[in-house]
Amino acid sequence: MRLYIVRRLIEMVPTVLGITLVVFLMMQSIPGDPVVALLGEAYTEEEAVKVRVDYGLDRPIFVQYVIWLSKLVQGDWGTSILSGRPVLKDVLIRLPVTLELIVLSMGVALLIAIPAGIIGALRQNTWADYTATSVAMVGVSIPEFFIGVLLLLMFSFGLGGLLPSSGWVYLPGTCPTIVCGTSFWGNVQHVLMPAFALGVGRAALLTRLLRASMLEVIRTEYVTTARAKGLSDRPVIFKHALKNALIPTVTVMGLQVGFLIGGAIVVETLFAMPGLGTFGIEAIIGRDYQQVQGFALITALAFVVMNLLVDLTYTFLDPRIRYT
Amino acid sequence: MSTVREAPLGGVGELVIGPQAVARPESPFVQGLRRLRRSTTALIGVAIVALLLVLAIFADVLAPTSPTVNDQTRTFQPPSWDYPLGTDQMGRDMLSRVIHGTRVSLLVGVSSVLLALFVGVPLGMIAGYYGGRTDTLVMRVMDLILAFPIYLLAIILMVIFTPTAGLIGTMKVTGALAIVRIPIYARLVRGSVLSVKEKEYIEACRALGVRDPWILLRHVLPNCLAPIIVTTTLGIATSIIVEATLSFLGLGTQPPTPSWGWDLKANVAFIQVNPWLSLFPGLAIFVTVLGFNLFGDGLRDALDPRLK
Amino acid sequence: MMRRTRLMLTLTLGATALLALTVLLPDLASAQAPKRGGTLRVSYGNDINHLDFHTGSGYEMMWVAMNVGCGLVDITPDGKFVGDAAESWQLSPDGLIYTFKLRKNVLFHDGTKMDAAAVKFSIDRLMNPETKSAMRPFYEPVHSVEVLDPHTLQVRLKHPYGFFLHMLAAYRTGLVIYHPAATQKYTLKDRQQGKPEALPGCGPFKLIEWVKGSHLVMDRFDKYFMPGQPYLDRIMIRTIKDPVTEMAAFKAGETDFIASFSPEHVDTLKAQMPKAQFMTGKETTPMIFKFKVTVPKDGKPHSKDRAPHPIFHDVRVRKAVGCFGVDRQEIVKIAFKGQATPWVGIIPPGTLDAVDVNHLCPYDQAKAKALLAEAGYGPSKPLVFEVITSSEKSVFAVIATVIKEQLARIGVTANIKVVDKVTWMNTALEDGPWDAEVEDLLSLLTLDSNAYLSAVGARWNQSRHQDMKVNDYYARYARELDTGKRKALAKEFVEYMVDKLYWNNISGSPFYMVAQPYVRGYTYNAEFEVHWDTVWLDK
Repeated sequence: MRLYIVRRLIEMVPTVLGITLVVFLMMQSIPGDPVVALLGEAYTEEEAVKVRVDYGLDRPIFVQYVIWLSKLVQGDWGTSILSGRPVLKDVLIRLPVTLELIVLSMGVALLIAIPAGIIGALRQNTWADYTATSVAMVGVSIPEFFIGVLLLLMFSFGLGGLLPSSGWVYLPGTCPTIVCGTSFWGNVQHVLMPAFALGVGRAALLTRLLRASMLEVIRTEYVTTARAKGLSDRPVIFKHALKNALIPTVTVMGLQVGFLIGGAIVVETLFAMPGLGTFGIEAIIGRDYQQVQGFALITALAFVVMNLLVDLTYTFLDPRIRYT
Repeated sequence: MSTVREAPLGGVGELVIGPQAVARPESPFVQGLRRLRRSTTALIGVAIVALLLVLAIFADVLAPTSPTVNDQTRTFQPPSWDYPLGTDQMGRDMLSRVIHGTRVSLLVGVSSVLLALFVGVPLGMIAGYYGGRTDTLVMRVMDLILAFPIYLLAIILMVIFTPTAGLIGTMKVTGALAIVRIPIYARLVRGSVLSVKEKEYIEACRALGVRDPWILLRHVLPNCLAPIIVTTTLGIATSIIVEATLSFLGLGTQPPTPSWGWDLKANVAFIQVNPWLSLFPGLAIFVTVLGFNLFGDGLRDALDPRLK
Repeated sequence: MMRRTRLMLTLTLGATALLALTVLLPDLASAQAPKRGGTLRVSYGNDINHLDFHTGSGYEMMWVAMNVGCGLVDITPDGKFVGDAAESWQLSPDGLIYTFKLRKNVLFHDGTKMDAAAVKFSIDRLMNPETKSAMRPFYEPVHSVEVLDPHTLQVRLKHPYGFFLHMLAAYRTGLVIYHPAATQKYTLKDRQQGKPEALPGCGPFKLIEWVKGSHLVMDRFDKYFMPGQPYLDRIMIRTIKDPVTEMAAFKAGETDFIASFSPEHVDTLKAQMPKAQFMTGKETTPMIFKFKVTVPKDGKPHSKDRAPHPIFHDVRVRKAVGCFGVDRQEIVKIAFKGQATPWVGIIPPGTLDAVDVNHLCPYDQAKAKALLAEAGYGPSKPLVFEVITSSEKSVFAVIATVIKEQLARIGVTANIKVVDKVTWMNTALEDGPWDAEVEDLLSLLTLDSNAYLSAVGARWNQSRHQDMKVNDYYARYARELDTGKRKALAKEFVEYMVDKLYWNNISGSPFYMVAQPYVRGYTYNAEFEVHWDTVWLDK
């Protein structure tokens, strides 16, 4: 098992490097560079050349990438060209916000999807099933930002500012900076709307998937066998059907992490959250190459780690699967 | 009764030349389409999509006024008989904008998916059929694209392309969304190709000296037609959402070209006083995506009845 | 000697009285004693780029600089100068020597004394091309700075400069005095990223922390030179880019002060929060729609070798499109809900020496068409060009759209290109390919401060006109010390600019700040002076 994890971790390296390299190449092909924005009115051709030399922007692209990599190996994620801030430091400050957002939106998704999927499958073709599937269908068809806008309208404007519209309050003891608000309830209030906006679409997707896989498992023989052995309905469903139906669900959840990081860009922008999503889009728009690299790297890492976790979850869900 | 109805559909069924098609009296396609017609939700989807197509094609005739002409004497009108969906900050008729917005949404949604299809399907076929290094190379690139969060890739691509207005602006968004979707087709088709490649009748074709492209088109492609159709229909829904999201982030088709995402974003600013201004474009996006999702879902149930 | 002291005393007293007056002016009910303590929660609509006050750009950075740093003088809303670290100053009769007397109790945040040497260090630093400060062009008239004693400083000018104090007070950041030792000890990067120890200022608040994209915190400096001030314990600035979210946060009481509020939403927020304080003044920012006059012959940006722009080198086309072809009233009504003033010329309505020349550019479709026909455009050869604007403010795209509609009425097609801010800077500011643009650039305290955006040779002279007469006007205007003559000169200059249309105002661009009802003691002075040292919370 341990060997397997190590092997998988090594296998991740090319994927992570591939993603960062592609992002690097793409960013360099964007017209205009950050030097103009950095120098502002002090811009002259000579100054620009100097700054480009300072940041190594005059080197061939691949050389720049290799330099970035060699620094990365030493734990240096580079420095933001525009703000002069170390990229790793900012990534670490912003990571908890996005992590919580993603985990909780997954939580929201599962909280809705598991019961809805089970009801849909067990009470197939009844009004309960129709309701569950219809709601799921509506859920997958609404863009995150539209849900976010509707939530803002209802809970921040409508109900007398029931929920805060923007910003972030950290969980007690997790403040990554010198000054920040920490409170458990404050944190819950701040994360509720964004997590819901991001989670609803996933909930709908998972409901449909779970329902379909449950139906498939229920129809397979071994549940029938379990029934024949005299097990009553409930344990049959939970022990066998649900566990097996969860396998494709978990796979899809893993794949959704990439999507959620993308979705975080939209949701964090709307709710003005100091997370990685806003960090990423600011960097892309500002052509802040090093900061974009930091964002691409953390995204790629999240993606591969999540896929590993998904594979490991299989062993828990289906003991027949063993990794060696 | 039923035979009469099925007759015109025979043509579609004919496309499926495979062992299953030969073995059964009725092709799975015809069966599928029959099932599709029995599903109410799928029919609702078909109806929505058809209606949207009509709106997009005849937008100039159907829209009461121009979507771009402003009238400073009638800004922020609430919905009324004259302006069923009200007017915006510039006094433009919202109904006309929503109707014209159908064009950008459908154009981007449909053409990006078709573009991805025309690039992705051949790539997947080549990779699967020839295998070896070609396969490894193509699929590595595809996996790399798939590893990107879809929004991240689309955003970077749009920054590279520089968003603009009009048809060219729309085409840039289309291109960006197509690139994002190519690997989905490549993967799907490659899998199907691998599963039929070693079948006897393909071997027979080869032995008879039938050329590779012909084998691929005539015998391999039909086998993965069903999932391609389903993926395409559902893919349009996804593309429309991503297009709207890009517009919402200011990276889609630029004004004054009517676009739902942009209109929603621009009018969110006035949501407290004139909520309908952003609700209508939002609803338009929702209904369109819902239409394609229902349609695609119906197709999947019909073509792959195991999941019903 | 006696006379000088008396003069200084008068000036000091006058300054103190004025300061007291301005503190009390905005809210007479706040005549009660200020309450101490509390945190002022400010929201910004844009991120701070970086915090090296001498080289950074953007108002977001400047408003921090004004509270962390101190300078020599400040300017009041009615244009009077009051002492900041300087308690008095004098100008020699020939208009060439400024003598500043500094307060004796000014400390930097690290406890060291702020003296004349630090001021000299800062001015010399800003004048040094190596510093790359955007303020450098404004120090061009300075010949030298001399320290007479630790509290006396003399600035010698090369020629009379009527706006020297304006510049020190409020061109961009105004003068921000840097701590010489800390500036030498720490690197540019340290200051850019806002390391507090690299930026010890002499202002009322000391920098505690800046987290890009999240927040900036400044705490009360106990040894600030104004006794008793500041009243607040802390200022917490957050960036909320979406105006709707920013409004929601304010409405829910999550923020106390919106540093820059979009004019098109003022009515909405007023209706919902009638008790909130909406602060605005004369419009000092121009909303412009202007044209490129020359292009680089070799295609290389900033090339000295210029060729005429294929469309807009012809002044008849510029005037047809920019002067007679646009209906400024309609633009203002739609884009600003009537909150702005339609305004022709080069100086915005609220800037010093503004002149109303609206009669020179009436909306006249017939005249526009005639001019176009004269220039060879008509139904057989329609005029088509591109309007570039940035997505930084939503109002730009709205204005461009309205202009497009208006020009269609005279048979002209304007294609809109909305680009992000960086692309816009690379194109419009840096001599890239463009025909016309819609923008509002920056707030102008005086016409003089606009020179670096419109004089020949100025890097950001976007239209790239080559008319040296413009430079001549700017030079004469800056050196004229007689206010009456200066005003006449301004009028002549503006009329010349309208005739040539190198620059083309559409209107003023209104600026709003919004504060909760319990925020007291703030003196609104547009973007020029943002000081929170006199602010206190009545709750």
